Amino acid sequence: MSLIKYIIRRILIAVPVIFGVMTLTFVLSRYMPGDPVLAYLPEGKINWDLYEQLYNQLGFNEPIIVQYFQYLGKIMVGDWGQSFSIARGMPVWDLIMLKLPRTADIAIFSMVIAALVGIKTGIISATHRNKARDTFFRGITLVGVALPVFFLGMLLQYTLGYAIKIDGQAIFPTTGFKTMGYPDPPYVTGFRIIDAFISGQFYMITDYLYHLILPVFCLSFISLASIVRQTRSSMLEILEQDYIRTARAKGCREKDVINTHAKKNAMIPTVTIIGLGFGGLLTGAVLTETTFGLAGLGQLLIDAISDDDYWVLNGLVFFFALVFISINLITDVVYGILDPRIRY
Amino acid sequence: MQKELIYETELEEEEERYKFKEIGKRVLSWTGKNLKFLFLPASRIDELTIRETEYEKTVSKRKFIRRFKSVLTIVGILLVFFVATLAVFPNWISPKTLHQALGIYNNAWGPPDATNLLGRTKFGRDVLARIIFGARTSLTVALPAIALSVIAGVAIGVIAAYYGGWIDALIMRIIDVFMAFPALILALVFVVVLGNAFHTGPQIQYIMLAWGLLGIPYYSRLIRGNVLQARELPYIQAARVSGAGNARIMFRHILPNVIQPIIISVTFDIGGIILSLSGLAFLGYSDYRMIDWGNEIAQGRQYLYVAPWASLWPGLFILLAVLGFMLLGDGLRDALDPRLKNL
Repeated sequence: MSLIKYIIRRILIAVPVIFGVMTLTFVLSRYMPGDPVLAYLPEGKINWDLYEQLYNQLGFNEPIIVQYFQYLGKIMVGDWGQSFSIARGMPVWDLIMLKLPRTADIAIFSMVIAALVGIKTGIISATHRNKARDTFFRGITLVGVALPVFFLGMLLQYTLGYAIKIDGQAIFPTTGFKTMGYPDPPYVTGFRIIDAFISGQFYMITDYLYHLILPVFCLSFISLASIVRQTRSSMLEILEQDYIRTARAKGCREKDVINTHAKKNAMIPTVTIIGLGFGGLLTGAVLTETTFGLAGLGQLLIDAISDDDYWVLNGLVFFFALVFISINLITDVVYGILDPRIRY
Repeated sequence: MQKELIYETELEEEEERYKFKEIGKRVLSWTGKNLKFLFLPASRIDELTIRETEYEKTVSKRKFIRRFKSVLTIVGILLVFFVATLAVFPNWISPKTLHQALGIYNNAWGPPDATNLLGRTKFGRDVLARIIFGARTSLTVALPAIALSVIAGVAIGVIAAYYGGWIDALIMRIIDVFMAFPALILALVFVVVLGNAFHTGPQIQYIMLAWGLLGIPYYSRLIRGNVLQARELPYIQAARVSGAGNARIMFRHILPNVIQPIIISVTFDIGGIILSLSGLAFLGYSDYRMIDWGNEIAQGRQYLYVAPWASLWPGLFILLAVLGFMLLGDGLRDALDPRLKNL
């Protein structure tokens, strides 16, 4: 029962934050590049009478406070405006949903890989404390923190995608998410893997995954370092606890002590780090997408700014915040499930 | 002769004891002895039993030095020193003058040779010279931004935690809102919005302002927790009883006791901000009037396969600079806060 209460409390805490985010995006939107009315005009020469009419119709002649509440209302019912230059007349929400799968794919893949590799590495690092292996992993992760993701991306693009060749062919593709000329699977969910699976075109899945190897490798480096550090430190702390000594004293094998007694308890702070790292992952996704030419949300954001697409930019900023808040909420809830002590 | 000497030293001791009652001089002498004790490994304080508390402090400070002397930290210090040297004396180190680094030559994107050790970049400029002149930009953009975030963030955090109540609640909600955005994305929008509001495009002052503003919530939150703990301690009560005002208690009594995590965090964040700034420059939102590592990468990116040296070398220098500050921050944290040694 306390868990449900805890979850409800977390959601209630998130509500004012979402309102604050709406307010901030409203304030920012007053100064964003582009014109909010242009998107609703038909293509071609601007009809200024129609512009005036639409301007009044969209409520831009109202007092600022009325505009604010109109803005809140529109955002909440999912009317996030229309695209002006990227996809003329397309609702922003649809545009975001169209581009989301690519970003979600690389973000989720790299999060999973970083979590798996990071936890394993962290545990090895903790159990071989101050040995050569530990020092090596710590050094790698420190470099990983300091490594600009686009520098790593370009390094990989140049070496594995261009300079090193096998039979005159580069090892990995460097741009895009599919081989030139490959068709798209019929649209069901938008996620290429699921769509290809449903339509039975399995060669698309392998092709897609092959294109994602380099971006995912780059992106997983971002959160890998913090996961390794957190796992190592919490593991070291737990290995000094009394119940671990008890487990060893009763004759447990060292493998069982690590895997069944220590690991689960050490995971609790790691979960938080993984969740909080998702924001960094989204940021990194913007850079990675730009490096590897993947048409995802990050690319959309850059395009929206450079093409003065007012509503797309506004919607994206809000969307990123929304994703970030939900991830934090989920992290908090998972933390509450894993560690009953914090449900206070 | 002997007796006289003893007599004189006793007299001196008397005088010294008298002087020690004056607090200012006592503190001065104590610090002096501590300094000696810290920096000369063989020196000892004779009156150990009298000064137990001081001894404890000195021992902990001595441990600080000992812990600080790890290989990684020294590497970090050397890297920071290296980047700082590049930033301070670019004219002495660079093989080309600033004028030449900004000139226009033929043989653009040319390969490395005897005159251009790391190759040529756009307009045939020397990559090495531009990297060396770019070091100053990295530091001079990062430091004001950090200074703004730390000063404003610490002030806001201390005030919020000290007064509590609705002021605290309001400030913390605003901070929550700012922390609800991924940093780079909000910074990108801030830079664009500021550039758009003043009709100038992205300029260096807006970039610094944007990163400075975005750092404020982070530092406020960091210091708030510590102030919340410190404000319940007896010495705050004592200060209040002796008539200190709120401002004095906040900034003279509490602040020096809670500033330590901020110092550690600043060292890390100088690295972080260099990294973020280069990310912003990579996306094309940087001031193109500057020689900057991020700018170099953004320009060289289209020519990656033709002239990898133009974009990869600046990237390596970003890595070195950031790594230096991170290692230094790591060492500082180990030394100042032993509880986090395992992190």
